[in-house]
Amino acid sequence: MFSFAKLVETDEVEDAAPTRARSQRRGASTSLDRVTFAYPGEAAAIASTSLHVDAGELVCLVGPSGSGKSTILNLIAGLLVPTSGRVLFDEEAIRGPGPERAVVFQDAALFPWLTLRDNVEYPLKLAGMPKGERRARSEQLLRMVHLWKFEGSHPHQLSGGMRQRGAIARALATDPAVLLMDEPFAALDAQTREILQGEVERIFQETKKTIVFVTHNVREAVRLADRVVLMGTRPGRILREIAIDLPRPRRIDEERVAWFAADVASEIRSEVEKIAKEEADDAWVAPGGPVHVDPRRNLGSGI
Amino acid sequence: MHDRTVVRAVTTSVVRLLLGYSMALVGGVLLGVALARAKAVKQFVGPLVLGLGSVPSICWLPVAILWFGLSETSIQVVVVLGALLPIAVATETAVRHVPPQIIRAARTMGASGPRLLATVVVPAAFPGILGGAKLGWTFALRSLMAGELLFVSGGLGQLLETGRDLGDTALVLAVVVLIVGLSRLSEWALFGRLDREVARRWGAEPA
Repeated sequence: MFSFAKLVETDEVEDAAPTRARSQRRGASTSLDRVTFAYPGEAAAIASTSLHVDAGELVCLVGPSGSGKSTILNLIAGLLVPTSGRVLFDEEAIRGPGPERAVVFQDAALFPWLTLRDNVEYPLKLAGMPKGERRARSEQLLRMVHLWKFEGSHPHQLSGGMRQRGAIARALATDPAVLLMDEPFAALDAQTREILQGEVERIFQETKKTIVFVTHNVREAVRLADRVVLMGTRPGRILREIAIDLPRPRRIDEERVAWFAADVASEIRSEVEKIAKEEADDAWVAPGGPVHVDPRRNLGSGI
Repeated sequence: MHDRTVVRAVTTSVVRLLLGYSMALVGGVLLGVALARAKAVKQFVGPLVLGLGSVPSICWLPVAILWFGLSETSIQVVVVLGALLPIAVATETAVRHVPPQIIRAARTMGASGPRLLATVVVPAAFPGILGGAKLGWTFALRSLMAGELLFVSGGLGQLLETGRDLGDTALVLAVVVLIVGLSRLSEWALFGRLDREVARRWGAEPA
């Protein structure tokens, strides 16, 4: 814990200047208006779901697998088209993907044939930014995520956490208004995840971007979010929204974070149990129930 | 004794090979990408490509001679058809196996259409395309030799035939050694380098 605190401190000193100058575009609002999405011939992944994310808000979508968290993200990204309803960005209907809505995927999805720096410059190249400007911007971004030393490395030479930081730098390159993060830290170890959560919070506070963050980790959601959106399954839908009005920066081991997390987790558990029951034909019994049963007691068997 | 003859034969064959192979490479990669990315192309041309792929390219020589006469073009037709189909099939497979997440990521950054193909799909499929290109090179060389053997036109193939006519086993075997040398040279000068570059970037074990 001590070394982590130290790391954050030195980072702030080193990066204070470039991060201030970095972001021009602030967050914009995005929303789903009674959206249903189903793959052809399948049950709806999400059914008649409405969600509004304010400009500069950090919303975490939490729920069990199959609750349509990633579907919502892909709809906002423009990678999926709703079966019915409307998906809006800054009050206008979304027509396909665009660099103003950047995505960070679970597996980073950096291009293996490019160096880290060229990866970060790729969206800038698409946007037609001249070379000199591109070089300056990629340096700034890589310094911000503490990867400047590795600018010439290829993705396979980096650890999972470094790749994910690279993906965040690439996502921020075009200065998007909305950052969509699809379980970005799910494959990382707990320590790395904690550091990256701190990075996301710092970037969020400095850039005022709108962030939609999908996770199945309740504590992560509570630690990061302004608002946690709890999702249920069959069909995917929103069960409850919980405002998390804790001061920032937060820590994963804070008591209040734990308190909120326990509340959200109990609600998710009942949802998961519901699915398990359906799948097991009602024969499934929740483990660790309140009734104490000790098989060795053998009450009455010796009579 | 054969000095001038051999040099001239090697030059003729190499020029033909490079010309035919580069056409096959461009055509094969384009066809492969189209097969993988365009449903209509796959449906209408796909079975044809696989069917024609099973025809040894030398079988095209009679048709080529009927259409183009005893010309360079006829030889090139055989070389191109020999190399094009394996390159196309390998490219198709490689493009199909590009991780969808890579393409999705590129689309969210605003890439689409030909730009997406050129800057993401083809580079991502490059290791597989390289495999097809290597295969295509050996197919091109084989087709060329077959063509030159049957069709008196200079080149290494014809030199083989000359050796047989003169009962000159040494010449015949020397030409075989030259062909092997040609293939090793191309491996050293081109494909080996590309292989190492792919290994460096993708993090595969270098061969």
